[in-house]
Amino acid sequence: MANHLLRKINLSLPLCRRYSTEVRKATLIPGDGIGPEISAAVQKIFEAAHVPIEWESVDVTPVRGPDGKFGIPQSAIDSMNKNKVGLKGPLMTPVGKGHRSLNLALRKEFNLYANVRPCRSLEGYPTLYTDVDVVTVRENTEGEYSGIEHEIVDGVVQSIKLITEDASKRVAEFAFEFAKKEGREKVTAVHKANIMRMSDGLFLRCCREAAEKYPEVKFEEKYLDTVCLNMVQDPSRFDVLVMPNLYGDILSDMCAGLVGGLGLTPSGNIGINGALFESVHGTAPDIAGKDAANPTALLLSAVMMLRYLELGSYGDKIEKACFEVIKEGKFRTGDLGGKAKCSEFTNAICEKVA
Amino acid sequence: MAHLTRAIPNIFLKVPLNTTVTGVLKRTLSCSPTLSIQAPVSRPENHTKCTLIPGDGVGPELVHCVLEVFKAAQVPVEFETFFLSEVNQAMSAPLEEVEESINRNGICLKGVLATPDYSHTGELETLNMKLRRNLDLYANVVHVKSLPGVKLRHQNIDCVIIREMTEGEYSALEHESVKGVVECLKIVTKRKSQRIAKFAFDYATKNNRKKVTAVHKANIMKLGDGLFLNSCKEIAKLYPKIEFEQIIVDNCTMQIVSNPQQFDVMVTPNLYGNILDNLSSGLVGGAGVVAGASYSSECVVFEPGARHTYAEAVGKNVANPTAMLLASAKMLSHINLQYYGDLIRNAVNRVLKAGKVRTKDLGGQATTQEYIFAIISNLR
Amino acid sequence: MAGTLCARLNKLSSFSGITVPARKVAALSAYDVQHKHPFAKKVTPIPKAKYGGRHAVTMLPGGGIGPELMGYVKEVFRYGGVPVDFETVQIDPKSDSNEDLEYAITSIRRNGVAIKGNIETKSLDTDVISRNVALRNELDLFVNVVHCQSCPGIKARQKDIDIIIIRQNTEGEYAMLEHESVHGVVESMKVVTEENSERLARYAFDYCRLHGRKKVTTVHKANIMKLSDGLFLEVSKRVAKEYPDIQHDAMIIDNTCMQLVANPHQFDVMLTTNLYGSIVSNVICGLLGGAGLLSGRNYGDHYAVFEPGTRNTGTAIAGKNIANPIAMLNASVDMLEHLGHDSHAEVIRTAINKTISEDHIHTPDLGGQATSIDVVQNIIKHVQALSKKCQIVAPPHLMSRHDTT
Repeated sequence: MANHLLRKINLSLPLCRRYSTEVRKATLIPGDGIGPEISAAVQKIFEAAHVPIEWESVDVTPVRGPDGKFGIPQSAIDSMNKNKVGLKGPLMTPVGKGHRSLNLALRKEFNLYANVRPCRSLEGYPTLYTDVDVVTVRENTEGEYSGIEHEIVDGVVQSIKLITEDASKRVAEFAFEFAKKEGREKVTAVHKANIMRMSDGLFLRCCREAAEKYPEVKFEEKYLDTVCLNMVQDPSRFDVLVMPNLYGDILSDMCAGLVGGLGLTPSGNIGINGALFESVHGTAPDIAGKDAANPTALLLSAVMMLRYLELGSYGDKIEKACFEVIKEGKFRTGDLGGKAKCSEFTNAICEKVA
Repeated sequence: MAHLTRAIPNIFLKVPLNTTVTGVLKRTLSCSPTLSIQAPVSRPENHTKCTLIPGDGVGPELVHCVLEVFKAAQVPVEFETFFLSEVNQAMSAPLEEVEESINRNGICLKGVLATPDYSHTGELETLNMKLRRNLDLYANVVHVKSLPGVKLRHQNIDCVIIREMTEGEYSALEHESVKGVVECLKIVTKRKSQRIAKFAFDYATKNNRKKVTAVHKANIMKLGDGLFLNSCKEIAKLYPKIEFEQIIVDNCTMQIVSNPQQFDVMVTPNLYGNILDNLSSGLVGGAGVVAGASYSSECVVFEPGARHTYAEAVGKNVANPTAMLLASAKMLSHINLQYYGDLIRNAVNRVLKAGKVRTKDLGGQATTQEYIFAIISNLR
Repeated sequence: MAGTLCARLNKLSSFSGITVPARKVAALSAYDVQHKHPFAKKVTPIPKAKYGGRHAVTMLPGGGIGPELMGYVKEVFRYGGVPVDFETVQIDPKSDSNEDLEYAITSIRRNGVAIKGNIETKSLDTDVISRNVALRNELDLFVNVVHCQSCPGIKARQKDIDIIIIRQNTEGEYAMLEHESVHGVVESMKVVTEENSERLARYAFDYCRLHGRKKVTTVHKANIMKLSDGLFLEVSKRVAKEYPDIQHDAMIIDNTCMQLVANPHQFDVMLTTNLYGSIVSNVICGLLGGAGLLSGRNYGDHYAVFEPGTRNTGTAIAGKNIANPIAMLNASVDMLEHLGHDSHAEVIRTAINKTISEDHIHTPDLGGQATSIDVVQNIIKHVQALSKKCQIVAPPHLMSRHDTT
């Protein structure tokens, strides 16, 4: 109920803005595989930049709860509840172990309704596309992934895509708020309302309503297929994209593909009472512990977190340093075609931000 | 008796085993030069009838281009034209009439129909969907191939996307259960999943393709997409010579923009197919250059692969007719007019390869009309 | 494959004296018998291979003249604008493994329809079973139909013959259950089952009704093989009672052969077991003008395979441009009729008949001088002329006969 009230009053705005001058606490979930290394790198860079953040590292290895099921330890949930923001490294997803995946649990716990993924071409690391700078905002709680499926008769399965006005409004307004805050020009609503006239129609209507509240941000609506077609031809046409769950899932990965994969794209999950920033790449167990991983994705996620906490000035500094190091090309990790170690890369950034 | 039967194989062995049909024919040809059974291809004089739907947007212009090329190539096809449109309902021919014509002719060439996102009558089904459902056009085939001579980010793409078109997200079953909460049903059936899977494998067999990839999201939609995936697996067992792979749709989109050459034939449910069609069309030059076809068991509708009406270009003489021409070439091959199909396809390829005359979307300066003239002068 | 198993048993008993007691082999193969003839095989139907009005059909060229003849079929289809795509599956005749064959069978399962030449089985290994028989058994093609009709343009001893032979195709003498029980003594098993006999008899009587035929003659040897042929005869008599509008009689095989050469006009539809069918059809083919004319149709509950009526490889004349293409072309016309492309079938059938009866272009086996290509050329000429006259696209509502299920 309290959540509900809060949402009404302070829709989609970070709760923490008024504490911005104090030292803030943030939960850190280092993750598995290369996770600890890249988390350490991020911590080191933050220290060098004198960011007023105090990390609270928690372990999320599943434990058996009082009901006998495996789940996230209560301490981790408490920490997130207390701090309201978190940074998370890659986690192994144990297949078929009988407990809910951490992502899902956290998503439910903090009502993380929007997934934000900026994709930007990195200067100095040429991929096929050089002019990508888009942000995908994806509704994260309903749509096709509502998980309501059943077999009506043998051989006929029906799954329900759920679109609600509340959730659509929430994510649409977030997208515009985000665009405004980040100084972006345009929001594109991606939909398929020509086919799914009611469900996507509702989503589209909510976007239009939100657009009216933000006259300074341009608004356009495009069909999903048109976006796909145009995106691979000329990604510079797009700025901020807002869309339902499934489309967002597909498009965000596609955009990451345009700029060279998930190793460079940060991601943030914005919720009503908290936000979780994470790197979405895998745990890369083959290079774990070899000081060869690339911490860029997690670092950029942390930068997103700083902006979310209204510590944007620190964020800009770190981001700039990171891009410069990559552009200069002296210290590039293996995945970018360089030979540098993770620690060398980190040190180079530290030097720049100090 | 046993000796006799065992002796026979030895006689067999004396015959050269590599005697192929053409080998035989060639040899016999050389002894009787007057007889040439290997005539280039059939050029029948009777006309085949074909339904034609110009569509909305630049559709009528593009169809006009096709007609001009057909005329120049003297293609023995007669068209029955129907104007069908949802945005311009007053002028539209009744759907039943169009369906009857397609049913009778078995083939149809169709431009793109605009699908407005609301309807005056409050219907949930679009005209396109109705046509598909009534004719049971269940398989959409889009062959995405890099064009010769067109320089783009990606080269040597050659993949086929086969999409189920009659169920899935596009079932037009939606309702508002409570105010502000809309439920949209996605239906997946075993029968239709198997049917599309078999279509994909049969297509691969017929066109000497090596691999079929099923695109799904069965990790989240365990029942629905799971059923689709399992049906594909089941059918794959019948095709021991074709490799079968599966990929999750979000990973697939990422792979296709970074490394599209790894894909061969892809089989997808409805919505994912739409996404992949457009994505890969974008990779090879946009909606104006990729041809597609929709199959039922009785008839085929040939149309552009990525469906965009391109309404802003109407009357400006800038639209790219390549997709429509390639679709018509595919149509000619389908109705045993291989000769004319090849004629048109080769002309298009030659013009593109030369690179002098290109429409704006491919970075050229030519108008649609100039492009068509270039193709007509290359018909040989 | 069950066939391989019994062939292996076969081998087991034949080498190294008699280490395996014959009785044990026989006891084992009882399972085989059952496994080999799972009466009316149950098949989960899979979608048919027909897309946009075009059918996919498996083509098994086989050995000898097969590949040439298939080439002619493709040519004629191309000129006729027939909406059929062939999936050609080559079976290596020398190979000892049955991989190719299994792939061919899978292919027919997918497409539902096949056209085939005679497949050679060259391997001397007893392990390798006759591939033609294996194909029929695996696909449960229990009935073989050969329509024997005189062609007016061909000189033959008998005129105006019009007989339909309906032959059991999967069991009887061709069960391929043979073993050498004691050295020098070979036993061969003949299997007749009530269910298969009844299916066949019903097919025959239904065929009569559908095509307006008057009489069914069951060909048997029940006076000697009282149990096996007796069962076959008994079942056909029982089924006949359900079809009072159709006459039924029975004739012993040796008498049948005599009657056929003396007075073939007395026969209408002949219902035979496997081996007798082979004999009878070859006798009639001889009367009509040789092996190169007639086509045969093999049907099961789910699949259909079309081939030349007399199953000969014709290795001796392969590659000489003298093989008669008519039989294979007739088979292809049968196939088109089965697929529902009636107008195309009609065009090609007329072209064939005109070539034989009006133009008298005959290959040497019919006493003519023409080469295979001459004949095919002439047929193509007619096909082109005929298709000019009529609209070739068949209305779709005629195309539903593909569902044999």
